[in-house]
Amino acid sequence: MKQKLTSSLQIILLLALTAVSLTGQSYPGKPKIIRCRSLEKETFSCWWKPGSDGGLPTNYTLFYSRDSEEEIYECPDYRTSGPNSCYFDTNHTTPWTTYNITVTATNEIGSNSSDPQYVDVTSIVQPDAPVNLSLETKTSANTMYLWAKWSPPPLAEARANSHVYHYELRLKPEEKEEWETISVGVQTQYQVLRLQAGVKYVVQVRCMLDLGEWSEWSSERRIQIPNGESPPEKPTIIKCRSPEKETFTCWWKPGSDGGHPTNYTLLYSKEGEEQVYECPDYRTAGPNSCYFDKKHTSFWTIYNITVRATNEMGSNFSDPHYVDVTYIVQPDPPVNVTLELKKPMNRKPYLVLTWSPPPLADVRSGWLTLEYELRLKPEEGEEWETIFVGQQTQYKMFSLNPGKKYIVQIHCKPDHHGSWSEWSSEKYIQIPTDFRVKDMVVWIVVGVLSSLICLIMSWTMVLKGYRMIAFILPPVPGPKIKGIDTHLLETGKSEELLSALGCHGFPPTSDCEELLIEYLEVEDSEDQQLMPSHDSGHPSKNTKMISKETDSDSGRGSCDSPSLLSEKCRECRTLSSTLQTQDIRDVQENTGGKTSWETQCIASEQKILLLNNETTKSSTWPAAQLPNTQPPMFAYHSTVDAHKITLNTTNVNIAPVLVGNEEKHQSQYPITETVHNNMEKQREMENLHSKTDQTTAQVKQNRPNDKSPFLNPKLMDYVEVHKVRQDEQAVLLKHKENSGKTEKYTVPGTSKEYTKVSTVVDHNIIVLMPDSCIQHTSVSQEPAMETSPNLQQGQAEKNMSYCLTAPSECKRETSGSEYMDPSSFMPSFK
Amino acid sequence: MLTPNGKEYAQKIPREELTHLILRLLQAWKEPLSHFNQHHQELPDDSLSKAKQISSMVHELKTGVEKVTEKARFSINSLNGMTPSEAAGLSISNEANMMSDSDFIHCFRRDSNKVQSYLKILKCRIMPENSC
Repeated sequence: MKQKLTSSLQIILLLALTAVSLTGQSYPGKPKIIRCRSLEKETFSCWWKPGSDGGLPTNYTLFYSRDSEEEIYECPDYRTSGPNSCYFDTNHTTPWTTYNITVTATNEIGSNSSDPQYVDVTSIVQPDAPVNLSLETKTSANTMYLWAKWSPPPLAEARANSHVYHYELRLKPEEKEEWETISVGVQTQYQVLRLQAGVKYVVQVRCMLDLGEWSEWSSERRIQIPNGESPPEKPTIIKCRSPEKETFTCWWKPGSDGGHPTNYTLLYSKEGEEQVYECPDYRTAGPNSCYFDKKHTSFWTIYNITVRATNEMGSNFSDPHYVDVTYIVQPDPPVNVTLELKKPMNRKPYLVLTWSPPPLADVRSGWLTLEYELRLKPEEGEEWETIFVGQQTQYKMFSLNPGKKYIVQIHCKPDHHGSWSEWSSEKYIQIPTDFRVKDMVVWIVVGVLSSLICLIMSWTMVLKGYRMIAFILPPVPGPKIKGIDTHLLETGKSEELLSALGCHGFPPTSDCEELLIEYLEVEDSEDQQLMPSHDSGHPSKNTKMISKETDSDSGRGSCDSPSLLSEKCRECRTLSSTLQTQDIRDVQENTGGKTSWETQCIASEQKILLLNNETTKSSTWPAAQLPNTQPPMFAYHSTVDAHKITLNTTNVNIAPVLVGNEEKHQSQYPITETVHNNMEKQREMENLHSKTDQTTAQVKQNRPNDKSPFLNPKLMDYVEVHKVRQDEQAVLLKHKENSGKTEKYTVPGTSKEYTKVSTVVDHNIIVLMPDSCIQHTSVSQEPAMETSPNLQQGQAEKNMSYCLTAPSECKRETSGSEYMDPSSFMPSFK
Repeated sequence: MLTPNGKEYAQKIPREELTHLILRLLQAWKEPLSHFNQHHQELPDDSLSKAKQISSMVHELKTGVEKVTEKARFSINSLNGMTPSEAAGLSISNEANMMSDSDFIHCFRRDSNKVQSYLKILKCRIMPENSC
């Protein structure tokens, strides 16, 4: 029974097997892992060999686990290393770990697994073989050595630099069997000495990482060691060129000579011909060259050229070179590059560049036609500008910057079939800046002209500066006194004045005394016309009045009297003021004293100038300034000038004050007071007045008056002339006390009385007439004094009347007196 | 067909003969070019049009040279010259049929270069002032 069962089972099994075998399908065979290898210790691959596939498509899967871990992974990459392989990249590779790898074959029926493979990455390292092995024989110091070079194996991942390979080289003669292995180290080259000459060697190289196994040997390289006696190497023909399409030259490069002197021969044959010729000329073109002259040059035929190297051991031929001369033309560079600057009339200058073809080229006959091309760039520039010119041998350049330097070069080429020549030598162009020079000239001319104009203008300014300033800054008009003809005064024509006044024979000198006299006129408001007002034709009434006044001042006392002084001062002021008004500017300007008043005041009257100055500068209280301004002036010296100065000053100061304060009667008082205060000055003024009167009266006896007594302050007490109103009334205040002194005050030598008050009927001009008749004066004065506050014209008239008579006497007396003789204008009073 | 192979030869030849030579050359190539065009229709259109253009240019050039010679009053024995030229042309055309395309083109190129050079020499001989 059992036997039957087993046999039946066996039969069944057999049947099944046969069935399976008949159908040809079964579960796959067991794969086998062939090899696992790492190239650089960071990646590795495993290859397996599949078993039978059981007739059905089979899938292979690789499973691995690490160390003692339980987890099983599948191969990450089936493709990189090819079929039936698994590639573990760096992420999946961990050194110093043991991988348990199995491959499972699976098909529809079943699966089969390979035996596990235990892999440690570090133990399976084996790099690829080195590549690019090159060999070279070199000779140094009569010894031949072999120089081998190679490259490390390439890696997929570019991390070759971090791997240090150790290399090993082996070589052997070709016929021999044993290798000579040389350890090279980490270099990728090596020099092998001790070589047998004339032997052909085989060389290989391999590498290894610091751990692992040696790579495979690289492919073989063979090299023949020169024997020192060997046929030469094959030469090579470099190029053939024709410079002018009539001759041509070929050059070759020799190979190694094999240790023996080698001869080179060039052999050529023409197209269609069998005959071989040898190079006709080896020398003309230099070493390793062949020159074909005209006779041997044929066009439109192809040359077959070869070079043969021959030495004792043998000969060698170069490769053939086919040449058609027509197509190998390369001319020489153009010559005679010249530049010419052309300057047409109405246009900008331009540059003409001319050249001539190379000397050998036969352009004349048209055999060779050349085309030219030039290039230029600024000296500092980097890029060339290339300009094709064509067949002409000149070129016009318009658009170059003036002042810059350019570099120009030309080259040429046959118009067809050929190559460009070399560039001609550099030619430098310097663009001239002529036009700029013209501009500079223009600017220079403009500058010169403008400077001339400026000079002229400055000169005119200087010369006529005053006028200019006067024009620009008009003078400040001062109060103008009617009746006074300042011009007349300025001119100093005393004759006229005097004639107007009726006096004759005045001294020609027009001192400030005159002016003083004039200034003595007391003026109100507008009119300051004294007696002369009646007179017609008197240019300056004031002057007359002053003269009258002075004449009325028979005695110096009157002059010395403060009133008189005041009058005089007034007059002076008026006059001076008038003058000043008219010539304030002048006075101001001409510190030297060129005012009309000053002009009238002669050089001796320097003080007048001073006075003028003072007056001009003083506005309201020049009198007050008098003492301040001229303390030195009042040095009581018996100098005429001093007196004059003082008088002048006083006059000047006072007059304007008077004038200025005409409308202010009250001011007169202080004036008089000041006058009083400045007794001395007043005296001096009076003196000066007297002097001036004298001058006007032609007689100057100021000098005697300059004597000290004249300056006695006592005399100052005489008369005070006050102006009370602006009316024509003049107030003469006379101090009685002075009356007595008048006598004393009278100038010694002159018994003239003080002053006569002769007032102008019309105006407030008080004319103090020197009255020789003291009595009269006194009489006249007294009533005047009585009526001190108000000077009545009537009295004045009376006085005048008195004086009318007196003047005749007075005249005589006044001839030597300082005061002017009022007789001349006495009638005028009437 | 013999043509001067060097500059000296070309310069030695009198003008009339040179002109004659040119004309012969141009004439000789007329037939082979047309033949070439006919038998090479398979070429791309660009090349084909180029070939036709070249043959027409040759024809125009020949005509122009004839006119120039007439104006220059060269004594051309056209009758005498034609026959050899025709013969030469036939020979050339026979050869052209035999040779390969590349050779054909190569020969044509060379001959056109010849014509050009001869014409230039002729030009500079007749009118030396123009860039000669």
